[in-house]
Amino acid sequence: MIVVKNVSKYYGNFCALNNITLELHNGVYGLLAPNGAGKTTLIKMLATLITPSQGEIVYDGKNIIHMDDEFRALLGYLPQQFGYYNNYSPKQYLLYLAALKGMGRKDSIRIIKELLEKVALSEVGNKKMKKFSGGMIQRVGIAQALLNNPKVLILDEPTAGLDPKERARFRNLLSELARDRLVIVSTHIVSDVESIANEVIMIKHQEVLYKDSVENICNTLAGHVYETTIDYGHLDAFRNRYTVLLEKQESGEMNIRFIHKGAAAEGWLSVTPSLEDVFLYEYRDEIRMEV
Amino acid sequence: MRILFHEIKKIFTWRILLLLVIANAVLFFLRIEFHISHFPNGRPSLDSYRIGIEMISKYGNDMDEEDRRDFKKTYEVQVQEANQYLQSNKEFAEAGVGTYEDFLNIDWENKEQAALRDKIMFEEQVDIFWELPERRRLMDFHETKEARVGTYKNGANPRQEARFDEMISAGHYQVYPEVVMENFKEFIFNVAIAILVSVVLIISPVFMKDRSRQLLDLQYTTRKGRELYKTKLAAGLISTLGVITALLIVYFGMYALNNTEMYFNVPIHMFIDSFSWYDPTLLQYMALTVAAIYMLGLVYALLAMSFSSMMPNYIALIGIQVPFVIAMITYGLTYLVTRIINIEVPQWVVPTSYSGMVAVSVLFIIFMWKREKHRDIVV
Repeated sequence: MIVVKNVSKYYGNFCALNNITLELHNGVYGLLAPNGAGKTTLIKMLATLITPSQGEIVYDGKNIIHMDDEFRALLGYLPQQFGYYNNYSPKQYLLYLAALKGMGRKDSIRIIKELLEKVALSEVGNKKMKKFSGGMIQRVGIAQALLNNPKVLILDEPTAGLDPKERARFRNLLSELARDRLVIVSTHIVSDVESIANEVIMIKHQEVLYKDSVENICNTLAGHVYETTIDYGHLDAFRNRYTVLLEKQESGEMNIRFIHKGAAAEGWLSVTPSLEDVFLYEYRDEIRMEV
Repeated sequence: MRILFHEIKKIFTWRILLLLVIANAVLFFLRIEFHISHFPNGRPSLDSYRIGIEMISKYGNDMDEEDRRDFKKTYEVQVQEANQYLQSNKEFAEAGVGTYEDFLNIDWENKEQAALRDKIMFEEQVDIFWELPERRRLMDFHETKEARVGTYKNGANPRQEARFDEMISAGHYQVYPEVVMENFKEFIFNVAIAILVSVVLIISPVFMKDRSRQLLDLQYTTRKGRELYKTKLAAGLISTLGVITALLIVYFGMYALNNTEMYFNVPIHMFIDSFSWYDPTLLQYMALTVAAIYMLGLVYALLAMSFSSMMPNYIALIGIQVPFVIAMITYGLTYLVTRIINIEVPQWVVPTSYSGMVAVSVLFIIFMWKREKHRDIVV
C-alpha cells in the first residue's frame, strides 16, 4: 500500500502540488486531469524522480526515498516521454534495462520474449528501433515497465500513440495485471481509465478534487446532465446559458448534451452522467457559460 | 559488471569511433607525421644521429676524459681522410683547395670554389664533409662543458644552483647530440595534443547523451537508480584509459620507425639539451611523459564528464571545453609533458600543478554526483 501524506511540491514560489493526501491499494487508479494540472509531478514523486518539498510518500509504512533501491525494485514506470537508442533493437534495449533492474541475463531473455509477445512486437524484436512507429515505441515502453514484474506499476500517458485496437489490448492487459498489484495510470483521456479503474483521482488547482470510484464521481452530477435538440440558430444563446458538453449536428439541427443544476425545461432528456461529463464540467475553465 | 560493459559499449559508437579516427588522422598529418617521416631532418641532423649511435656503441652511456680524447682522435683521423679526398680530387687541387682547412676557408666570392663545395656537399653528399663539422660542434661542447654549466649556474636560484653543483660533482655533462631528444619532445608534445582532443571528444557525451534523450527517467527508476551515475563515470574512465593506451600504441608504433632505441639507456643529462632536476635515462623520460599524458587524459576526462552532467546542450558542452583544451595546448603541455623535469621550471610547479588539477577535477565530479543524487528529474 502506498500512502501519500500531505505532499506539496514547490518550484521557487510556484506551487505544483498542494497538500496531497492519498491512500492507494492494489488495483487500477486513474489519475485524471488536463495537461499542466500536476499529474506528472505527482507521478514523478511516486517514482522517486522528484522529491516532495513537504510531506512524504510511504510504501508499507516506509518512506520510499529512504527505501531507495528496495522500493525501485518493486517499481515499474513508463514516463510520458522516454528515450531509447536508435540503433538498439527492442531486445537489446530491454536487456539493458533488465540489467539496470538487477535481473539475471537468462531470466531477462525469457521474460523479454514473453513481454514482446504480450505487446505484439515478437516479430520485430531484433529490428532497430529507429524504424519503429510511435505506437511501437510506446509498446516497447510498456514492456520495459513490466520487465521486473513490478508490485507498483506507474504509467504516465501510456496510450499516447496507440491505435484503438492497441488501446483495447492495453486496457485488457492492465486489468489482468491489476489483480495482484497497484497500477496508477495517469492520463487526460477519460476512456483510458473509465472502464478499468477501481478508483479515479482527479486533480484541480494543485489539489485532489476527487478520489473515488467512477460511479461515485459520476453521481456528483446525477440529475444535472441533459440532452436536447435545438435549432442551429439558437446554439450561441444556448452555449451562453449552459455548460455544453457535446454538440452533434443531425438533420439540420443540433443534438446537445449539457449540464444544468436547476429545474429541467420541456424537451430536455435527463441522462446518466459519464466520467467524461464530470471531467469536462470540472475543467471547464475555458468554457464561459452560466450553469 | 554487465551494466559497466553496457555503458562502455554506449561510449564507443561507430560514429564516435569514426570521429576519433578522423580527428587523429587530421592531427597526425598536420602535427605528428613530419617528426616521423622527416627524422633525422636532413643534414647535418642525419650525421648527428649517426655520430650519436657511434658514440654510444663506442663509449657507452657515459663519456669520460679518455673517451673524449678518443673522439677527438677520430676527428683528426677523419680530417686526414678529408685531406686525402681533396688532394686526390683534381678539381679541388686546381682550385687551390688541398686540405680540409682550405675547404673550411673557401672564399664564397670565388665562384669556382663555391661550386666545388656545393658539389660535394649537396650533389654528391660526401659523408665525411657533413660529419666533420658535426664532430667539431660536439667537440666544442665537450671543451666548454664546464664553462656552460658555470654560466647557467651564475643566473640560478639556490635550488637550481644546488642541482648544478650536484651535476658537476657527479661529472654529469652534456656531451651527446641532442637530435633524438629534440625529436622525441616534438613528437610527444603533438601526441599529447591528439590524445587530449580524442579524450574530450569521446568522453564529453557520456552523461549528456542519456540526459538529452530523456533516458534518465527510466534509468533512475530502476533498481540501479542514480548509482548508474557512478557506473557511467567508471565507464568513462575505463574508456579514457583504453583510448589513451590504443593511441599511444599506434603513435609509438610509428615512432619506432625512427630507430632511436640505441639511445634509450642514455641518461638525459648526457644530451646537449636543457638541464633537468633529475637523471632519468631517455627511456625513463619517455615513460614519465607517457604517465603525464595518462594523468592529463584522466583529468580532462573527469572535467568533460562534469561538464557533460551540467551543460544544457552539446554546443554549450563543446563551447565550455574549448578554452580549457586550448589553454592546456598553448600554455600547459610544454610544462606538464615535455619540460616536466626541466630545471627552468621550479621543482614544485609540476607536482603541484598535477595535484591541483587532480584535486579540482575529483572534487568537481564528486560535487556533480552529490547534485545528481538529489536533483529533481523534471525534464
